[in-house]
Amino acid sequence: MIEIRNLSKWYGKFQVLSDINEVIKKGQTVVVCGPSGSGKSTLLRCINGLEPFQKGEILVDGVSVGDPKTNLYKLRQKIGMVFQRFELYPHMTVLKNITLAPMKVKKLSRKEAERKAMELLERVGIPEKANEYPANLSGGQQQRVAIARALAMEPEYMMFDEPTSALDPEMIQEVLEVMIDLAKEGMTMIVVTHEMGFAREVADEIIFMDGGKIVERGTGEEFFTNPKHPRTKEFLSQILK
Amino acid sequence: MFDAVQRNLPFLLAGFLMNLQLAACALAGGIFLGMLVGLGRISKRRWIYGPVTAYVNVLRNIPLILVIFWFYFVMPILVGKTLHPFVSAAISFIVFEATYFGEIFRAGYQSISRDLVAAAYSTGLTYWQTARYIMIPIAFRRMLPSMITQSIITFQDTSLAYVIGLQEMVRRTTIVDSMEVRSIELYGFVAVMFFVFCFAGSRVSRYFEEKSRKANIL
Repeated sequence: MIEIRNLSKWYGKFQVLSDINEVIKKGQTVVVCGPSGSGKSTLLRCINGLEPFQKGEILVDGVSVGDPKTNLYKLRQKIGMVFQRFELYPHMTVLKNITLAPMKVKKLSRKEAERKAMELLERVGIPEKANEYPANLSGGQQQRVAIARALAMEPEYMMFDEPTSALDPEMIQEVLEVMIDLAKEGMTMIVVTHEMGFAREVADEIIFMDGGKIVERGTGEEFFTNPKHPRTKEFLSQILK
Repeated sequence: MFDAVQRNLPFLLAGFLMNLQLAACALAGGIFLGMLVGLGRISKRRWIYGPVTAYVNVLRNIPLILVIFWFYFVMPILVGKTLHPFVSAAISFIVFEATYFGEIFRAGYQSISRDLVAAAYSTGLTYWQTARYIMIPIAFRRMLPSMITQSIITFQDTSLAYVIGLQEMVRRTTIVDSMEVRSIELYGFVAVMFFVFCFAGSRVSRYFEEKSRKANIL
């Protein structure tokens, strides 16, 4: 379970997050949407300690992220993350991208790590790309490798930061399908996305953020059919056009 | 026609060897000191960043020949005796080239996207693991072409050490020329020697550049 309590964050004097409260239970998929600059990515980066915050508390399975005594390297092992621009290691093959952390962090043998990596590549549908370099893959394939890389650490949570925003339209579906499967298998997921079809299908909760605040939250259908806040209505009318 | 060159070949080549030796010292020391300079230039601590930046700015805005000269005349005052021209030149080159290599290291480090590092962290890698497996290998590949280019420039510049009487190839050629009076052939030979070495070096650099471009890491 991830618990976020009264979380606030500033960049200098500019407040990027203000008083965020949210609980993500095991097995849930939470979709975060909102205009750019509303603090969605920053929220994700606070959860796995990539960004510090000044006020409030985040607990991941009871462990406080903001506590200086917390071993963040250890904490991050159970929170996988996928980025908008894939961020694969350009100098390593697909297989090496996936096996690096299991071998160096979990100390798996090369054989064991590669066996698992191939399983994951099967799962995301591109085992034949194992020995290619990321530059030779399409955007959709790169993003699926990035998902496999995150899953290789057998995380309990997965965070996606606009995973399809940098993709050509015809590649979005192949990535979403992998994510939908994950959600249906019971992975706990926090997904920043504007893919409302995805949200409708798998989200247990949808959060709408604006100006660093959670403006509205709702379960799937209710969020779309009956938005209450005027900012949500405006946003939805633009995005569902 | 090249008999003047032939007659003095061993003498001239011994000078060329000295250029090579000086370049080797300059590069070994310059790259090592350059790494420290590069780290200083990205330091968030002002008392490190400030002085290092001042050092880089001063040295990069002075002609190398002045640094060689100045060093040669100042060192005796500091250490109490005249240094051998080779030692003096080597120190000048190290101090000078470190500023250029430092900037190459800084640029290499800064070329690595923060999100790539975040991606590595998010899989549980520690800072040192990320540095070792991600940041350093990528930065090194990106820096390699400019490092080779700078090494070629350093090698060419070693001929400037003739101003403090170092018996390198250009200096020796002036000596031979004053006896033989065959400037065109003699200096032509020096040019050919430098050209062959430097051109080979720049081809090597091109090769690495192409390789990195293919792997899409430039």
